[in-house]
Amino acid sequence: MVSLDQLKEEVKKALSSGKVKYFIGYENIGSGWQVRPAFIRQPEDVDRLVWTPACFHNLVRFLHDEKRRRAREKNPDIRPVGLVVKGCDSRSINVLLQEKYIERNDVYIIGVSCELTGVINITKLNQHLNGLKPQKVLFGSKGTFKVIVDDREIEIEAPDILADRCLECPANFPVIADVILGEEIKRNPGNRYQSISAYEKMALDERWSFWQQQFSRCLRCYACRSVCPMCYCDECVADSIAYAVTAETTADEKAQKTRWVERNPELSENIFYHLVRAIHLAGRCVDCGECERVCPVEIPLRLLNKKMEKEAKELFGYEVGFDPAQPPLIACFRDNDPQDFIR
Amino acid sequence: MKRTGVFVCHCGINIAGTVDVKKVAAELAKHPGVVHAEDYVYMCSDPGQNLIIQAIKEKKLDSVVVACCSPTLHETTFRNATKKAGLNPYRCEIANIREQCSWVHREKSKATQKAISITRGVVEKVRRNESLEDVSVPVTKRALVIGGGIAGIQASLDIADAGYEVILVEKSPSIGGHMSQLSETFPTLDCSQCILTPKMVEVSKHPRIKLMTYSEVQEVSGYVGNFKVKILKKPTYVDPDKCTLCDECTKVCPIVVPNEFDMGLTGRRAIYIPFPQAIPASYTIDEKACPGMFDTAIACGKCADVCKPGAINFDMKPEIVEVDVGAIVVATGYDLYDKSMMAEYGYGQYPDVLDGLQFERLLSASGPTGGRILRPSDKKEPKEVVFIQCVGSRDPELHWPYCSKICCMYTAKHAMLYKHHVHDGQAYVFYIDIRSGGKNYEEFVHRAVEEDGVLYLRGKVSRVFEDNGKLIVWGVDTLTGKQIEIAADMVVLAMAIRPSKGMDELAKKLKIALDKDGFLAEAHPKLRPVESMTSGIFLAGAAQAPKDIPEAVGQASGAAAKAMAILSRDRLFHSPTVARVIRNLCTGCGMCVSVCPFEAISLKEGKAEVNEILCEGCGTCSASCLRNAIQVKNLTPHHIQEMIKACLGG
Amino acid sequence: MAAEFEPRIVAFLCKWCSSAGADLAGVSRMEYPPNVIPIQVMCSGSVSPLYVFSALSHGADGVLVSGCHPGDCHYIKGNYYARRRLALVKKLLEYIGLEPQRFQMSWVSATEGVKFSQLIYDLVKELKPLGPQTKFRRNY
Repeated sequence: MVSLDQLKEEVKKALSSGKVKYFIGYENIGSGWQVRPAFIRQPEDVDRLVWTPACFHNLVRFLHDEKRRRAREKNPDIRPVGLVVKGCDSRSINVLLQEKYIERNDVYIIGVSCELTGVINITKLNQHLNGLKPQKVLFGSKGTFKVIVDDREIEIEAPDILADRCLECPANFPVIADVILGEEIKRNPGNRYQSISAYEKMALDERWSFWQQQFSRCLRCYACRSVCPMCYCDECVADSIAYAVTAETTADEKAQKTRWVERNPELSENIFYHLVRAIHLAGRCVDCGECERVCPVEIPLRLLNKKMEKEAKELFGYEVGFDPAQPPLIACFRDNDPQDFIR
Repeated sequence: MKRTGVFVCHCGINIAGTVDVKKVAAELAKHPGVVHAEDYVYMCSDPGQNLIIQAIKEKKLDSVVVACCSPTLHETTFRNATKKAGLNPYRCEIANIREQCSWVHREKSKATQKAISITRGVVEKVRRNESLEDVSVPVTKRALVIGGGIAGIQASLDIADAGYEVILVEKSPSIGGHMSQLSETFPTLDCSQCILTPKMVEVSKHPRIKLMTYSEVQEVSGYVGNFKVKILKKPTYVDPDKCTLCDECTKVCPIVVPNEFDMGLTGRRAIYIPFPQAIPASYTIDEKACPGMFDTAIACGKCADVCKPGAINFDMKPEIVEVDVGAIVVATGYDLYDKSMMAEYGYGQYPDVLDGLQFERLLSASGPTGGRILRPSDKKEPKEVVFIQCVGSRDPELHWPYCSKICCMYTAKHAMLYKHHVHDGQAYVFYIDIRSGGKNYEEFVHRAVEEDGVLYLRGKVSRVFEDNGKLIVWGVDTLTGKQIEIAADMVVLAMAIRPSKGMDELAKKLKIALDKDGFLAEAHPKLRPVESMTSGIFLAGAAQAPKDIPEAVGQASGAAAKAMAILSRDRLFHSPTVARVIRNLCTGCGMCVSVCPFEAISLKEGKAEVNEILCEGCGTCSASCLRNAIQVKNLTPHHIQEMIKACLGG
Repeated sequence: MAAEFEPRIVAFLCKWCSSAGADLAGVSRMEYPPNVIPIQVMCSGSVSPLYVFSALSHGADGVLVSGCHPGDCHYIKGNYYARRRLALVKKLLEYIGLEPQRFQMSWVSATEGVKFSQLIYDLVKELKPLGPQTKFRRNY
């Protein structure tokens, strides 16, 4: 079991020694059971920290803000930022290291093991409770969650309310960390690509009508992009001008700069945006599931990323996020990469 | 507002026959930004070019599209015309409406529509082109020749005679290559050593040739005009300046290993000179064979004890020599195909089954038998000898699909020379067909048949096996359809010619391509046969394809001339359509650095940086960049996007 | 009778092999349907997935990317990167529901004029029954 006291102790130690600039963990929202990211700057604030099954946020994303801040400031404080990371989150740190976005000493990592559970899916929890309001959601023992409802304690088998990504998680234990809390318990990963198999089996037109419906809903709010630990580009190609502005560039030319994707949420543009996102996350997405969680119109974005993850593994034997030293998926090849699709 | 001119060529009726050129010009005249459009019967003619020059001047055009033949033909022509008119040549682009349109379609309306689409696309491209200036680089006036066979020797002498320094690197202890192993050469039957040795001596004496034998190229970086090469000089453990060639050392050396020069037919000592005429004339200790070298338990040192001048130095260390050169000639030659692949012919199993080079050694006056043809097994004179051609060649199913080219001729020579040595012997040649294209070659083969009575049998041999002291050769004569069985005393296999061992690794170091059979790939099979696809690196001899001596020498001189064309210049110019980094988009992820085939990109202070001289403008970096932060000038994603739009519009 | 549907195909051809192969088809006068609009790129390795998406979005009924055979790339290895990158693009497009015929890749060498012309024949034949590509097409 991950000990919250130990977590607080570690954070306190890191803060009071001045080793980290600040620490990002999780705290409850008000007196409720839900959580939000917590920025802890003073050792005495560590008591705000919690560790519950509702800590689904991938805090790695906040490293982007820190990097931008550093670039802006004249004399930036370059001490590492402390983070609490789960197995999936830790893999996204590895990808950032692989892409040289951060350096190892930019971040102080307290890894937490998901042991036999993971994080919950709120919709699944609500369905399970059938209208009852939970007061607390906690880790149980041996792969269960403990939910307090009407001052009663209910034990729920983890798979019943686990987030989909946790059901398909390849490694529930941090792969990179300075301190690790909790035990490394091997969990039977099951079929890592369970969620997409139904769609892969569909007839082509069925698949198209499914995705057409999904993409039609997209508001282009870009929440998926904002929450994504991999979407760190200052200017996303999906709304960039993709155009080299030189001394010779006239105002006329600047005015007719090309966008790959128009801003209006038409189906064609939504598809283009999501295609670009999926292909740009191929070999980079660690399946932290945050894009899908934050989507206000419930587009099953994981299904796209998971498909790319599967193809990378099956076609090229490529696993994301386990080795920060491996070359990126599309920046390497094998002489015998499959080419049966090429005429 | 852009001012583009469009010029549509009729190419006589080559284009105008299928494409309505007037309509193309009229449609393009309506295209936004096009201020001038006309057609003409031959745009590439002087009057045609003048039309372009005139229009640029009069209409103040800032970009030009010529809709004509493939850019491989006249892009340079029209860019020069553009330059003459005072406009940057990179403001001119070609729309290929002949090879990729008029010549491949019949229906005029559709071909015309396609020509319009293609030209519209190029108009959208060219109007976004920047004016660019060629990248210029200084030239190191020194050449590197890799391989000291006849091709490398010829190339070195040619370049050095022209007044440039040459570094000749050879991996074995002596130059000379396979030619030094040959007895006599077809079709004139002059002695190989006799014609080669003077050239070898000339190399060693040449004031501008630095000979590095027993050396290998280890690392190559840089680019045309400015290569940096690291050469590994292996230790010979004998100081050539002190060695007097007294040969006392080999007499005491206790180790015997197969002699490579005699193709294993004899042995040599661990300390050896490859052959009497070797250049440099000095001994080498084979460190793999010598027990005194690393295995201190049985330290020997007998050779050092008897060496009066004290030339032997066990402390000699491998040395890395770094050189700067402007051009490289690769002349790494050939090896014979691995004979162990030919179990059905009993090679390795029967000592009297030989390959062509072994037979050469038997024929050679300096060879193991002093020039007498004797069977390796019992030293008796063979009375029936079977020569088998195309062993491993022309066999796409099991071995190599190509023709090894020289075997027809050397087999005829072998059979002929055999008859000259053994007058009462009989020579048989199994062949698929006789390829004797070459000056006096056909006559030579006829001589073998008519004057020397060599029996040519058209067909393949299925098996060679031993029976009662004879080598039984089973074959088919495909002309008569009869099975043939010959009880031979000796069998000679014309093994396929393969690129020399280790050439694939060298090619990787040089970043030059191999063809499907593993030989070095030339830049163009017809028009650029001595150039590799990397500029500044040239090919000579059998490393590029199987070749006989005159061809190897001819190609070597060609490669030397190409190298000299570079060395003769003070500066070189390079296409400016290279990659550029848009720094504020770059995150320094380094994907472009890993994909660049030319190591032209590096990370500096967290941003990619392009070495414009190394960059070939392939654009692989730009497709790998998730942010379009690296783009090839004049073919940016923006160019492509606008071309797509224009091609599909309407 | 209504005119037969004529698909419009955007073909990204690498300069050194596939465009040269298409030129050879021309020099040899090998007729093929005029449905392909060639866009010459330096290397198949320079074809970004964005180009493919963009062509589809601008109404291409089919997209072809053609490069040198493995081992023959003028730039040594650009086609290997293209192969990997575009394999993912193809899987993704089909997963979303695009007909596999609409995005294709080929190796055409400078000597394969016959192959190029046959390839275009085949592509057009395969695309005709599918009708216009409307799924990804921008329609405003």
